Amino acid sequence: MPPKRQRKIGRWILFGSMMVVAVIMLYPFWIMIITSLKSESQFLSGGGFSWLSWSTLTSVIPIGQEVLSSTIVCSSSILIILCVGLPAGFAFSKLRFRMSTVVFLVIVSAMMVPLQAILMPEFVNVTKLGLTGGYFGAILVYAALGTPFSVFLFSTYFRGVPDELIEAGIVDGLGYFGVTWRLIVPIAVPAIATVTVLQFIQIWDDLLVGLLFIQNTSERPITVGLAVLSAGRTTSIPALMAGSIVSAVPAMVVYLGFQRYLVKGLTMGIDR
Amino acid sequence: MSATIPTTATPTFTPRVRRMTLKRRRQLAGVVFALPAIALVVGFIGIPIGQAIYYSFTQWNGLTSTWIGTSTWTQAFHNTNLWTALRNNGLLLLSVPFALAIPLCIAVLLHQRVAGWRIFRSIYFLPTAISWVVLGLVAERFFAYQGTLNSIIHALGFSHVSTNMLGYESEALIALGITFVFTMIGTNTMLFLTGLATLDPSLEEAARIDGAGRWRIFRSITLPHLRRFIQLAFVMTVIALFSALFSLIFVMTGGGPGYATTTMEFLIYETGFNQGDFGTAALYGLILFVITGIVGVVQLRLIGSNE
Repeated sequence: MPPKRQRKIGRWILFGSMMVVAVIMLYPFWIMIITSLKSESQFLSGGGFSWLSWSTLTSVIPIGQEVLSSTIVCSSSILIILCVGLPAGFAFSKLRFRMSTVVFLVIVSAMMVPLQAILMPEFVNVTKLGLTGGYFGAILVYAALGTPFSVFLFSTYFRGVPDELIEAGIVDGLGYFGVTWRLIVPIAVPAIATVTVLQFIQIWDDLLVGLLFIQNTSERPITVGLAVLSAGRTTSIPALMAGSIVSAVPAMVVYLGFQRYLVKGLTMGIDR
Repeated sequence: MSATIPTTATPTFTPRVRRMTLKRRRQLAGVVFALPAIALVVGFIGIPIGQAIYYSFTQWNGLTSTWIGTSTWTQAFHNTNLWTALRNNGLLLLSVPFALAIPLCIAVLLHQRVAGWRIFRSIYFLPTAISWVVLGLVAERFFAYQGTLNSIIHALGFSHVSTNMLGYESEALIALGITFVFTMIGTNTMLFLTGLATLDPSLEEAARIDGAGRWRIFRSITLPHLRRFIQLAFVMTVIALFSALFSLIFVMTGGGPGYATTTMEFLIYETGFNQGDFGTAALYGLILFVITGIVGVVQLRLIGSNE
């Protein structure tokens, strides 16, 4: 076979395998869409098409309330993570104090502690503080779990900032808060974006914290709502799939829009 | 060396004092800036670790705890559920090679930069954005009796064969493992693709001119270059295996049938919140803590060895 033709065949095989992978990766979306476009009886019999599960969605799942809860919990936690993580990252990289390296290492190693390992004491503490009634308990737990990574990311990021810049700001009388707000925050925009995107997807998609630390069913985030409904076993599966699509859309939009920040955050450990 | 100490220790007072106050102000600012993060991490992660150790020696229902010493530990280690959960986690480790090899192949495919590879990349990463709760619901549809898996089997001509993997103790864990591999594909592919992007193309070119085949180039140049990325992906996959399966298990099997898909993290939840045995659940948490701690030390060393 002539090499040119051989190469052409190779290209087609390559393209074909990529198509196969694409079909597999798109499978969840396909199943969600086609299942949501059936009524319950059509789903059981296999055939047919109906908008019923979409038009009755709000009566099966309190979708508006759940999306609102997810949004509140997500945005508040991320705000705390940024407000706490950015100054700390700045401190650990540029405003070193006695033992700061040790403290930094302790905080970073907290990244490795899964919530499940400390679930029982955490739950009892937060309950005793009376924080499981509203969103506060979940927000604080998410914030605490997200802080170690954001401190690590910010401090790695700020290591590249020249000391002269900070000194110049101090000499100009900005003070340390002024320097942080006027000079450091503007530089940190890409790092802020990375933390925000990573945490958004993490928190929006999480089940465990929302399930245990938000006690009122009327304040449930969407992921918790879906999981609890599915555990009920009596729920209409087409409606469940329609709800899944609603829950998936925000995270997908963020994901596609900010893909490069995600990649940056993910490979942070080895890039520098 | 010791002879030089007295001379350097002789201070010249005025400038030193001024510099000290500046330095002290900077340190003070550092402490103030770091304090909220320290408080949050100590309060919500540090203190609970200490409490978990204390409560693991008590009979605890969340309200009252009585010290019973090491008997909780001996009881726990005689509990078959613990060993079942550890065994399940151990068996699930067998899925890790797949969770690395498949993304590696996909990354290499994407790296060939066929027309439209950017679109393919976005498609491959898309499932990573959605919750494992949703992916678990979809997986349940896939493995269900009237699900996609049986449709495929029937379409292949085995119309008398039907599976119901999530319903049988012997197969449910395999279904869970397959779902886990699927959910890890996006993240790991992303990692490997980033690694491949940092590979110098002229190296491959030179090897090709020297007459090396594709496989040889992959073995001798690409794989060694990706070593750090593969290590990181391995550690992240193992950590996910021990601490991120909760959502999948919750929606797919609820830990069953029996305890067939109960892993350590699910056992903690089950023991604490379904059986109300907080003390034993805290103890199981500690065991999970030690396991992930070991994996974590490996990761910190991987990150550290680069700096």
